[in-house]
Amino acid sequence: MSSSPRNSAETAARDLSLPGATGEGAGDAHVRRAGRQLIFSAYGALRAVKLYPVENAAVQKALDEVTHQSKELIASEQELELRMSGEFIFVNQTRLRLDLDNFASFSHILSLFRASGIGRLTIAPSVGPKDWLVFLSVLQAPTADDPSDRLDQLMAKLQSAGVVAFTFAPPTQQGDGDQEKAKERAKRTYTQGVAATRELMASVRIGGSPNIKKIKRVVQGIVDQILSEETSLIGLTTIRDYDEYTFTHSVNVCIFAVALGKRLGLGKLQLYDLGMSALFHDIGKSRIPQSILNKTGGLTDDEWRTIAAHPWLGVLAMFQLRGTQEVPYRAMLVAHEHHMKIDLTGYPRQIRKQQLGMFSKIVAVADGFDAATSRRAYQTVPFTPAQVMLEMRDNRHRGMDPVIVKAFINLTGIYPVGTLVVLDTFELGIVHAVNPLQDMLSRPVVRIVSDAHGNVIHPGTLIDLADRNENGVFHRTIIKTENPERYGIRVGDYFV
Amino acid sequence: MISPSRLAHGPARDPESAEPPFSAAPVEELLRLISKAARAHQLYLPNNPIYRRAIDNLRAGFAPVWVEVDDLVLTITESEIRWFNTPVAGEAGNKSSDNLAWLFYKDGVRGLTFTKGFEKDEVVKFLGLIQRARKGSPDEDDLVTMLWEADFSFVHYAYVDLLQEGGVGELADGGEVQTVGPGEIQQGTHDAVQESRASGIINMADFDATLYFLDEREIEYLHAELKSEYQKDLRIGVSSVLMDIFESQQDPEIRGEILENIHTLMVYLLTAEHFSGVAYVLREVQTTVGRAVGVTEQHRQQLVQLAEQLSAPEALSQLLQALDETPTPPPEGELAELFDQLRPRALATVFLWLSKTQNERLRPLLQSAAGRLAAANTSELVRLINASELGVATEAVRMAGALKTQAAVTALGKLLSDQHVEMRRIAAQALTEIGSPGAMQALERAIDDSDRDVRVTAVRAMTARAYRPVLGRLENVVKGKRVRDADLTEKMAFFEGYGSLCGEGGIAHLDSMLNGKGFLGRREDSEMRACAAIALGRVGTAKAIDTLRKAATEKDIVVRNAVNRALRGPGSHES
Repeated sequence: MSSSPRNSAETAARDLSLPGATGEGAGDAHVRRAGRQLIFSAYGALRAVKLYPVENAAVQKALDEVTHQSKELIASEQELELRMSGEFIFVNQTRLRLDLDNFASFSHILSLFRASGIGRLTIAPSVGPKDWLVFLSVLQAPTADDPSDRLDQLMAKLQSAGVVAFTFAPPTQQGDGDQEKAKERAKRTYTQGVAATRELMASVRIGGSPNIKKIKRVVQGIVDQILSEETSLIGLTTIRDYDEYTFTHSVNVCIFAVALGKRLGLGKLQLYDLGMSALFHDIGKSRIPQSILNKTGGLTDDEWRTIAAHPWLGVLAMFQLRGTQEVPYRAMLVAHEHHMKIDLTGYPRQIRKQQLGMFSKIVAVADGFDAATSRRAYQTVPFTPAQVMLEMRDNRHRGMDPVIVKAFINLTGIYPVGTLVVLDTFELGIVHAVNPLQDMLSRPVVRIVSDAHGNVIHPGTLIDLADRNENGVFHRTIIKTENPERYGIRVGDYFV
Repeated sequence: MISPSRLAHGPARDPESAEPPFSAAPVEELLRLISKAARAHQLYLPNNPIYRRAIDNLRAGFAPVWVEVDDLVLTITESEIRWFNTPVAGEAGNKSSDNLAWLFYKDGVRGLTFTKGFEKDEVVKFLGLIQRARKGSPDEDDLVTMLWEADFSFVHYAYVDLLQEGGVGELADGGEVQTVGPGEIQQGTHDAVQESRASGIINMADFDATLYFLDEREIEYLHAELKSEYQKDLRIGVSSVLMDIFESQQDPEIRGEILENIHTLMVYLLTAEHFSGVAYVLREVQTTVGRAVGVTEQHRQQLVQLAEQLSAPEALSQLLQALDETPTPPPEGELAELFDQLRPRALATVFLWLSKTQNERLRPLLQSAAGRLAAANTSELVRLINASELGVATEAVRMAGALKTQAAVTALGKLLSDQHVEMRRIAAQALTEIGSPGAMQALERAIDDSDRDVRVTAVRAMTARAYRPVLGRLENVVKGKRVRDADLTEKMAFFEGYGSLCGEGGIAHLDSMLNGKGFLGRREDSEMRACAAIALGRVGTAKAIDTLRKAATEKDIVVRNAVNRALRGPGSHES
């Protein structure tokens, strides 16, 4: 890779410990545009190769197109390197913008690259349609190889086919130190979020005019964290502190909403808007007596009515805020609508009919999921994440937007982070992260917390349930999900 | 992408011991240019040559730096900006916002890195941010938040979070769990596996993951949802919610709070020049007044008073002043929506502003708005015709004419006796526009007004409407001496009027004026004869034509032309 002005900027930024310093904006517009086009072309060619015989005109056209795009980039940039980092694709150091128009193609290519163990791909100027044909065919061929061998196998296949236009490198492994730093950052963001929310709600409770600067900073931190490395922060949502439920719940909903928003292709500032709205969604509860919020027994009708007032009380509470150039109108609407169903039933009742906003629907899903999976005053036994997921998906009476629920399941996996699962090896595992391979949603990365003999392990080891043995059989498979309390396991302990 | 870094301590990257790669002079000069450009940004509009020069100079100031390096890493201390530990800007002890170092430092920014390309696209945005930070109140966003939101591509920053002091707190699941021994756990897992095998439910992993991929249609749906999220009018949404809460909650305390919020929202809407939003609130308030149950009299009054308050001279003057000063007036439709909601008392203020605004873009908007307001509030319009402020009365008179307000005739008629000539003129004009028999009747005596314009306006109006009752007055004028002293236009107006109304009964007089000879065989002067010819043309009967033909060979060219034009038919004299 030749050096470019951006490289030194990138180095300087790294020296400043600035994560993700080679941001999309740092690259030039041409690379961004041509890079996106290359990804679209590659995606189109992948589909064509998969669907039609090689002789088909559609295949030839698609291969010509991807060849043309790659050559054009090489001609203008003197080099062409694709690099995978987290959920982003970089072309010659320029991060390609991910949005609703392209995330399906990006996601598919990322998934295939991950599955093949490709971290970097350098394309030579000599690349031609035949090279692309071989590469793309091998890339999407089913494989049962051990993940560590996949890249070697792929390179061997290309070599035997005489394809030399591509050079590969495995993904840069995140060191333990980096992982620890990421976890520390996540913890700091999370605790500050809880503290700022507690302060905000306490201030509203006493009729004060809280300053929301801190809340803004918290949401910015959550957005940054979700954009760079979401796993650590999502893991922390499993803590669900009983005593601080209202505050941790608000932060959890913010995290889920921003992560879901990212999955849906929202831009950074849109995620910020969404995060602010999510963090404020229950602010109305600060105007409900603690005695009702914390009541453990059944609630009377009047008490339910009081609880059910929190969406509109939230709107009033937000008029109390100061320190905003702009009144948080969007957050007000989200607070008001987050218990409404898509058919506009639910509560509070709308008199002047207005369609629910997308952010309200996202927050409703995040809120519903976190609330149902948490222990609260009036819900001492929470539902398991999987139960909640199925309920949200299958019970239309819940009134959640099915597409957003679908995207949420896509985000969290069929087994959301924090789910306790029983494996066919008689081990217990806690879901640590969604499998990065898109077609392996049912095979997350789990932390083994109990061995086959029932011995509890802490911190436990991370296992990818997509791993198979030499015969292509999965090493471990989930049998069912379980209530952690039954096994005396506190899930949050494994994420802190 | 901007890449913030949160620092535990000290500056971002401070190569304390490293030697600078080149002389600090160009960096010092660049920082000086940034300060200068920031000042210019604050003081001048973008099209000002001083401003443009400052920006150009700043852009040029980066060139010598980029010759040496691709990025410029600066450390921010309390009073100085440093580059490789060399102070390049600032002043020790200067803790004012003039000192860029302090401006950034006080908000927690400890390092700034500019990369190549900054000067092209982001320099102005960066200067705007400095301006915001300098002018902002303590309650407003700090620079760290502003930098984050600005999402710069070519500026990176490092900061200490002054808002979130304190380290990582304790994170723990507060719930108690009972201790479970290995045996129980083993039993539990074995049971689970056995159960699932027995019932054949080892299929949880067989979930079809692709079920959860979004298809094209779903992506399009999300696209539309996101678009709609950002297109919807949030303020109107919140207004609607407030009104809903008011209607559904009968607690007077809550309702009182909502009313306060509606009031606040109205002010915000006005400040944001969101006139359709204000109109929406006022409209919905009316609906709420009619629909909400259990509203106390005090709250009802407060609701009703909202539109009254905005229509009051003080409030409305603020609004109109803002409109007068805004470089981009709102669309007419939006303003119309708002004015439709105002109360009659608003009309006086609108007229006052109409009479004094110099804003040529605002005037038609105001005129149109005032028209609608006046049309809906005729009695107020009539009342304002007699307003003490001349400007208000003048506009009211004009509007009454433009709207052909029959109810204003009496008031306008009275104005024909006003001491101000201008007022009499526009009153005559207004009556002319109204054009009803009543208006004509009121105009009759204007024929004898001392002002020539009033007279001409009146006589033309009555001519146009063939108002016969005025014939007597016209005859007096035409036969009298006063008309001889009038200018040609007035003479023509009177003779045309007379000719239009007199019929054959006037031919004899007109004939004598055109063709007759007086004492010692002298004829009338040319203008009078020409006017008589025009009048005969207006009479237009065979007898009148015959009379005209007698003068067809007239030697006086003025008379001959008039005769010929009159013979050619009505209107020909106008050419």
